[in-house]
Amino acid sequence: MAEFLTDLLAWFGDNWSGSTGYITRTWEHLWVSGWAVLAAMGVAMPLASWLGHARRGGILAISVVNVGRALPSFGIVALSLPVTIRIARNVPFIDSGLGFLPTFVALFALALPPIFTNTYTGVRNVSPEAVEAARGMGFRGTGILWKVELPLASPVILAGIRTSSVQVVATATLGALVAYGGLGRYIIDGFALRDNVTIFAGALLVAALSVLTEVAFSIAERWLVPRPLRNVGTQQRPEAAASVAR
Amino acid sequence: MVSPVSDAMIRLEAVTKQYPGTMTPAVDELSLEIPEGEIAVLVGPSGCGKTTTLKMINRLIEPTSGEIVVAGERVTEMDQSELRRGIGYVIQQIGLFPHRTIAENIATVPKLLGWDKARTNERIDELIDVVQLEPEMRDRYPAELSGGQRQRVGVARALAADPPVMLMDEPFGAVDPIVRSALQDQFLDLQHRLNKTIVLVTHDIDEAIKLGDRVAILNVGGILEQYAPPSDMLREPANAFVADFLGSDRGLKRLGLLPIRNANLEMGPVVAPTAHPQDAHRVMEQYGVDWFAVAEGKRLLGWAPGTALETAPDVRSIPLQPYRTRIDVGSTLKEALDAVVSSRAPMTAVFDGDDYLGMLSADRISREIVQ
Repeated sequence: MAEFLTDLLAWFGDNWSGSTGYITRTWEHLWVSGWAVLAAMGVAMPLASWLGHARRGGILAISVVNVGRALPSFGIVALSLPVTIRIARNVPFIDSGLGFLPTFVALFALALPPIFTNTYTGVRNVSPEAVEAARGMGFRGTGILWKVELPLASPVILAGIRTSSVQVVATATLGALVAYGGLGRYIIDGFALRDNVTIFAGALLVAALSVLTEVAFSIAERWLVPRPLRNVGTQQRPEAAASVAR
Repeated sequence: MVSPVSDAMIRLEAVTKQYPGTMTPAVDELSLEIPEGEIAVLVGPSGCGKTTTLKMINRLIEPTSGEIVVAGERVTEMDQSELRRGIGYVIQQIGLFPHRTIAENIATVPKLLGWDKARTNERIDELIDVVQLEPEMRDRYPAELSGGQRQRVGVARALAADPPVMLMDEPFGAVDPIVRSALQDQFLDLQHRLNKTIVLVTHDIDEAIKLGDRVAILNVGGILEQYAPPSDMLREPANAFVADFLGSDRGLKRLGLLPIRNANLEMGPVVAPTAHPQDAHRVMEQYGVDWFAVAEGKRLLGWAPGTALETAPDVRSIPLQPYRTRIDVGSTLKEALDAVVSSRAPMTAVFDGDDYLGMLSADRISREIVQ
């Protein structure tokens, strides 16, 4: 056991730099995760906030979550591979259907449901009195959405983005299966080489990165959510995450 | 009963609202005129279309047919949002924006109208003062305020751009009865200074009588049963529905609207200290009582039982007891009646400050009702 810990420490000392070092791998990991979450936000938030504002499409919102829960990320990676390879062949500026693209597709699909549902329910559940008062004072539809509904829904929307991000960071490990980099490399390659120290180190890094993501969002909440709306209902979560990180 | 067209600030002409898929209209051919500077209260049972009527004025609900004119302009020809920015709007749940400070809430319409910062800030300070909030409230959030304070912020927000017309949908409905009464008094006080044209919806007939310059009683289906100043309505209800809605204590309610100032006061069994005992006997007989009061100019000195006259040589030497049943001239006849019935004295003395003005008996008050 002591030997394993020594090896582990040595691993962290030896493997931090270079194109296969864990600084690069962490960066790759965050790169694909970040793009997947941003793309999911770009698709889900406008649609969901419009549906929530118009108070329509409740069934769609529920279906999105259910489908999202039902699809395994591993399956999406496998399913998207033939598609992304074909795309790469036909689109000149994409060089490979392996690596980034299938990983991105799978993570995008994973990130979509929580952001979509939280945005939808967040906007839809804004107090009807505030909305009626806004309309009665002469706000137009877009003004109500931007100045009243979205700020009031912001804690819920942010919670959705946070859930998506943590899941995406944890799942980006799968990228290693389709020749992407990221921290998953250590786990997959470690299995192939029966190198327990590398597997364990990779797993540790993925776990730490997920927790850090959670912490980063609780800090972001202070900046993005209007003061009186902060820590509504999720009061215990940031503390719990912080104590794990320590 | 309704004033001439020229000074009507808000005019409804045969306004009808029929929701799709319903057999009977929610509001049926309603015509109303609200003169500038008056409070018109729409009151009636649930389903009478009072809120629908209110919301048609700022087009939160579009009328099916008919015409609504505000300040000489047909509302259906105006841009909805522009129209609403020019009309103050207060709802029962207040609907303050929880993510904005009190100052930001009040600044809502000025911001929409593109006022500059200095003007907006000045207006916020002014309104915080007008609705009697503490200046420290400025940077608080709605959740940190009491119900009564939130209500006042709601009124301040509606007044922000100084609109000539205000619409209020059960504005005092969300506060407890004690706070409500105080807010109503404050609101009337404010209205005396600001002279807005106000349409107010309530289900509470007492609130309607207290606040309205005119009261419109609506029946289910948006049918106008009567539109009149409350004291006229209480004296002469148009029909059985109105009489029933006003309640069985109609006379008492009317007394609540009649100021003592306008009533004919009685002399009462009162004599001057210099009067002869025989004068005292005469006034006691005249009023059918066995006591008399003594007043010197504008000072009511007190009263004594008639038996005191038997032993005393003159009125001046009779020991007097203080006259305890008294009321201020600024009160209503209802309060005067209450003073009479809740004391043993058959009459209440009316004062203007320290000046004694005269007496009011229950009999006198009941005669005032029918006038």
